[in-house]
Amino acid sequence: MRYLYIDTSSAYLYSAIVEGDRIIDQVKRKFGTTLSEEALPEIANLFTKNILFPKDIDKIIVVNGPGSFTGIRIGITIAKTYAWDLNIPITTISALEAMSLSSKKKTNHVPVIDARRKYVYAAIYDEEQKEILKPQHIKIADLKKELKKLDDYYIISNDDMEDFPTKEKYNPDILKIVETFKDKKNVNPHAVNPEYLKLTEAEESKLND
Amino acid sequence: MKKNMYILGIESSCDETSASIVKNGTEEIATVVASQIDVHKDFGGVVPEIASRHHVKNITIVLEECLKKANMKMKDIDGIAITYGPGLIGSLLVGLEAAKTLAFVNGKPLIPVHHIAGHIYANSLVNELKFPLLALVVSGGHTEIIEMPKHYEFNKIGGTLDDAIGECYDKVARVIGLEYPGGPKVDKLSAEGKHSYKLPIPLQDDSYNFSFSGLKSAVINLAHHEDQIGRKINQADLACSFQEVAVESVVNKMRKAIIEKNAKSVIVAGGVAANKGLRSAMEKLAKELDVELSIPPMKYCTDNAAMIAAAGYYAYLDGRRGDLTLNSKSQDVLK
Repeated sequence: MRYLYIDTSSAYLYSAIVEGDRIIDQVKRKFGTTLSEEALPEIANLFTKNILFPKDIDKIIVVNGPGSFTGIRIGITIAKTYAWDLNIPITTISALEAMSLSSKKKTNHVPVIDARRKYVYAAIYDEEQKEILKPQHIKIADLKKELKKLDDYYIISNDDMEDFPTKEKYNPDILKIVETFKDKKNVNPHAVNPEYLKLTEAEESKLND
Repeated sequence: MKKNMYILGIESSCDETSASIVKNGTEEIATVVASQIDVHKDFGGVVPEIASRHHVKNITIVLEECLKKANMKMKDIDGIAITYGPGLIGSLLVGLEAAKTLAFVNGKPLIPVHHIAGHIYANSLVNELKFPLLALVVSGGHTEIIEMPKHYEFNKIGGTLDDAIGECYDKVARVIGLEYPGGPKVDKLSAEGKHSYKLPIPLQDDSYNFSFSGLKSAVINLAHHEDQIGRKINQADLACSFQEVAVESVVNKMRKAIIEKNAKSVIVAGGVAANKGLRSAMEKLAKELDVELSIPPMKYCTDNAAMIAAAGYYAYLDGRRGDLTLNSKSQDVLK
């Protein structure tokens, strides 16, 4: 079985083709605002370099957020269009889950993504990757309260946040992520959509009216 | 015999997700448009982030319905035409990534199309374009006169110095008290009114340019003044007064351009081409100056992918291609 992994939910592109228990090829690069320009060429490059064709993929695993709204949409649009057109099974996973899985630290994992304005996207998983706090858009102060309930924890983040200093920058262990989620239930490509975990500002202010 | 060419067009520059298949740049095979008008109505205008979110939800559904309607498969498609800009960047990106992905997984040519070229080529779905041609592009984001000596060669000779005409219509609609999107309602209402309010005709100079912010302000001030002296504005009369002045200013510039540029034919394109007042004024002008006039039917005036696929065909013949690094542009000059 061959898997294509795609994560564009941050300023980084993380993508790989995985076959059995090895990574055939992968890309981990920071693009920022040029992500829309570079994501697909980089993914296509994984194929051409290894003399593979789009139809050679058996399943797509795509990160559906949270993170940069535009970033998430880039990866999701690529993945769902690909899966729909070639009729390839597809499943989605959370960026926070992928972050937690990639850390080897034997304690509670707290993946954190900066959501600005005193908010973060975060979740808490225990050593066995069991969910303690589900992925959510949470006030920094509230997350700190949650963390106080834990004996020990470990922050994983790619963002430099004063409130959550981290020793570990996120570096996805794509092999482990794919290994963990390769049998996750397939989703109809039309239903593969971002999980922003946050309403748009226009919707929020309407609710507050 | 020359092989038929089927272009799949994708359009997502604002609040419509659309896909269409057009044969040889002239024959519409199937078009699907998912409109978000009801979504944005509650917000009084298009909210970019909400639009982007709907595009990503709709994109593959729209593509599937389009292929189904055409009774075709991706392998039958010869090229993928995509609106790369201008427009809302987040919205554009969804269509762009989908188009690039289709080009990649199917090994098909990718054809970047400027949104305004699309509006112009909507006409090629109903009439053969005859050159030299002048295109009047009028929409919520544009008011431009484009000169075309031949297929896919565009020279912008005039444009708005401030607001686009459609934008002005929507703002005037709000002043009159009509709900978003109010532009078409102003047009409808003006048919019931008379030109009784005095408004200034904007920018009567020697250029091919337009200006609508002064006219907009005049309407706002007039409504404000009437309100202050406790008089109720006559909605239909104000709509009619505004429409006649706005249309007259456009027609004046077009008259000048047709004569000076020796145009053989004239086309009107863009969302405001659906405006009945403008349509009939342009028909009168074309008769007066003895030029051929083409205005696309209503369904091709608003944003749709058929026009992108039609333009894509001629862009393809012109040798224009995009590779997988193609990016969206919120602003870009048509050339």
